[in-house]
Amino acid sequence: VHLLAVSTLSLLPAFTVVGLVLGGTYALAAIGLVLIYRVSGVLNFAHGAVAMFATFIAYQISVVWGLPSILGLVAAIAAGALLGLAIEVFTMRPLAGRPAITKVVVTIGWLLVLQTAAGLIWKDTAYHRPVKLVSSNGFHLIGTNVIVGYDQLVTLIVALAFALGTAALLRYTTLGVSMRAVADAPDTARLWGVSVNRVTAASWMAGSAMAAVAGVLITPRINFTTFALTVIVIDAFTAALIGRLSSLPWTVVGAMFLGLAQTYPRAFQHIALLQKAGSGELVTFVLVLVVLGLLFRPGSRRLRVA
Amino acid sequence: MAVGAAARTGVSGRSRHVAVAVGIVVVLLVPIGRSNFFQGLAADAFIAGIVVLSLVVLTGLVGQISFCQYSFAAVGALTVGSLVGGHHWSFWAALPMGVLGAALVGVIVGIPALRLSGLFLAILTVAVALFFDRFLLSPGTWDSFSGGISPWKVGRPSLFGLHLDGAYTFFVFVLVVFLLLCAAVWNLRTGKTGRVLRGIRDSEIAASTMGLDLTAWKLAAFGLSAAIAGLAGGLLATSVGSVSPPSFDLLHSLQIAAIVTVMGPGSVTSAAAGGVFFIGGTELLRHTPLSARWFPLILGVLLIAQLVYQPDGAVTEAEHQGRRLLSRRSRAGAPSTEAA
Repeated sequence: VHLLAVSTLSLLPAFTVVGLVLGGTYALAAIGLVLIYRVSGVLNFAHGAVAMFATFIAYQISVVWGLPSILGLVAAIAAGALLGLAIEVFTMRPLAGRPAITKVVVTIGWLLVLQTAAGLIWKDTAYHRPVKLVSSNGFHLIGTNVIVGYDQLVTLIVALAFALGTAALLRYTTLGVSMRAVADAPDTARLWGVSVNRVTAASWMAGSAMAAVAGVLITPRINFTTFALTVIVIDAFTAALIGRLSSLPWTVVGAMFLGLAQTYPRAFQHIALLQKAGSGELVTFVLVLVVLGLLFRPGSRRLRVA
Repeated sequence: MAVGAAARTGVSGRSRHVAVAVGIVVVLLVPIGRSNFFQGLAADAFIAGIVVLSLVVLTGLVGQISFCQYSFAAVGALTVGSLVGGHHWSFWAALPMGVLGAALVGVIVGIPALRLSGLFLAILTVAVALFFDRFLLSPGTWDSFSGGISPWKVGRPSLFGLHLDGAYTFFVFVLVVFLLLCAAVWNLRTGKTGRVLRGIRDSEIAASTMGLDLTAWKLAAFGLSAAIAGLAGGLLATSVGSVSPPSFDLLHSLQIAAIVTVMGPGSVTSAAAGGVFFIGGTELLRHTPLSARWFPLILGVLLIAQLVYQPDGAVTEAEHQGRRLLSRRSRAGAPSTEAA
């Protein structure tokens, strides 16, 4: 028992790195989710499906056709933004003024469409080779024996950059201020001459593009299938709920917490149940229960940047 | 006005009885003389109809949403599977246990749902479905219940000396169960319970002011809905002959939710139409250049188009049309006072 405890402890730093990287991708997806929810009032269940579809376009370009992976990433971002735009313009705008739950069910429709289409194009069940943006070689973390992969480092940096970038966008640019205005009070924003439609469309595009980046970055870290990416939406929801669906910093904290909470149990290598592919779902489920059942109170509608 | 309304319900009530009777006879006649395969599909359609009905109870009556109805069905199916396949129970003893187990899980899911509004309940039920799919029922977690990688085998039972092996016999049995459940839900809707549940659906605050115990009613609705889904799961186990968790995953639950929305959650008829649409639509696609795997895509497109253009649901809309037609015909000559 003592030996086991020691080996578990020695794994801790390495698992922290893995957990933070996983959390970084969740953060990216969750920030996009919160942005869309705050500005348009739609809880987007198709967020993971959009990420998945865009990611598979990157897969087609970079893995199947063998073109440079940066090209795949750019295509995925474009595909994500276009999908977000299509969802908003064709199916959300006509539903203005209808109950929020109707819009949620429409996003379920999109989930079914995108998930099935991707399954038909790229096959449902088969494992797919991940999109590798950078080599998975790595370096020793100074003073420890933990090896950090370059792709892990890049993922974490990109995630944090997008988080800070979104915060800066919302705080310092006209578009960002308009987004916050629409989130806080759409009618007042309209009176002030803000084009609510355009701002809403922009938030759907930006949020969905972030989902696409999250999807591409997470491919080396999960069982890369259409379904596994589609259901990332529930991890994003969990992180977003920890941020009470309004605070971006707390959303990032929530995402990191979720990433770590899904990773640490795997350090207990003598418990087979925690090594299962689905053990992450157990953690997410418990967190959703705790957050929704005990902690969550729908907060103010204000989109909080800091 | 009141007299007119009573007369109208009387007339449309009788013509509705005729319509339902004709519908049942047609449904009974169609599979006769067809292949075993067709009759099996017909049975499966009405089992799916029971799952749709379970969501009609939850959505139509109390206005709660659920994306995990097939997880409840899985509890029913796997309870039957493990008891019959693993412990050699009689199907008739195992089925009530499955229903009870599903109801229990439904009540447990209902507890956090008590303090959540629609949107957050939706998140919770997706989390429940994923937890069931990817952890609890996946091979290696609880194989003595889920069956692990080898599905439980469940044979066809016999009822009062009548063997349900025959495809047509089994179809009739499923249809009878479906109709009994529909009648029960229909009674629930129109009786005192229905008024209570609709009161809760339309205004929780008003309902609680009237002294209704919201907690108990909502939990009961969740329990009942899950129990119905569990019953469908148990029937599916013996219909297919084997049970394994993948046929009860999140995508199935989402499709059922989509079907209920497309058909209209307010009506018991939606359940029959929804079940036939789910199984029949999948089967029809098999005979086209597309494959059955296209079904969720088409369903998704229908769902989106439906909500954007005709929010009440196809069946509910058709029912309105039909009722208008019937009431107009019965009062032919009399000037129409109805604006609707």
